[in-house]
Amino acid sequence: MAEPAKVNGGSLVKESWNMVVTYVTGAILVFVLTFHLLLHSPLAGKAFDATLSFGYATGNLTYYQVIFGFLLFAAVIHGFNGLRTIAIEWLHPTRRAWLLNVFVFLLMAFFLAVGTVTLVVVG
Amino acid sequence: MKRDKRFKSGLIPSLNPVRFNLERWSYTVHRITGVILVGYLMAHIFETFQLGGGAAAWANTMAALHSLGPLELVGLWIVAGSAFYHGGNGIRLLLNEAFGRFMGKPILPVYPYSPTSLGKNQKIAVWTITGVVLALWVWAAVYLLAGVGVI
Repeated sequence: MAEPAKVNGGSLVKESWNMVVTYVTGAILVFVLTFHLLLHSPLAGKAFDATLSFGYATGNLTYYQVIFGFLLFAAVIHGFNGLRTIAIEWLHPTRRAWLLNVFVFLLMAFFLAVGTVTLVVVG
Repeated sequence: MKRDKRFKSGLIPSLNPVRFNLERWSYTVHRITGVILVGYLMAHIFETFQLGGGAAAWANTMAALHSLGPLELVGLWIVAGSAFYHGGNGIRLLLNEAFGRFMGKPILPVYPYSPTSLGKNQKIAVWTITGVVLALWVWAAVYLLAGVGVI
């Protein structure tokens, strides 16, 4: 059986899995981000400035901790994987594709850590 | 053979949709809004991190943001529009690529090679999303910039 075609130092199969991750996190984001925006929308029954108060923000993070956890992970994975895709299409890395992947992975880990600390400390 | 000037490589030419079809415009706006959203996401994670420092730290963060004046709300309005478009167009792409919706039936490549993926249904989907996003964006302007519309 033929080997999968090599693209950017990896295989097309790996890139297909990346697209699956992009689709799944994108679908999650449609729901959880809509929820997040609604908490700051006219439907919240407050002026926009009032939805930025310390009490309202910490209350939301406490009550909806799990939803915000999904939002954090889905947004960071979807967003940084999207940037990686743009960088691949722009730079066409061949031998150094792994360097780009490691860089993006470290960025993801950093922002996930900062966001998780916030959710744990505030929630 | 003379090369078509449209087909240059590189970031900027790849983002230029002029003289391409509707899908290319949609692709370009999807990319630009995506980058805007990731930029905001990074800032928003740091902003929200200040909540852990207590009410005083949060007040300082808000004061710093308010010091931007109208730019703060205009920025949020641009981010809101980006989220509306990226989300709406993302749903269309998901229906296209994962479920084969709006794609048309495959045909043999016969000149002049008009793509079946850009048929009537696809165009309706693109323009519907554009219309809904513009309506939501106007609504966001009324709420964010004019401060009215609280239900």
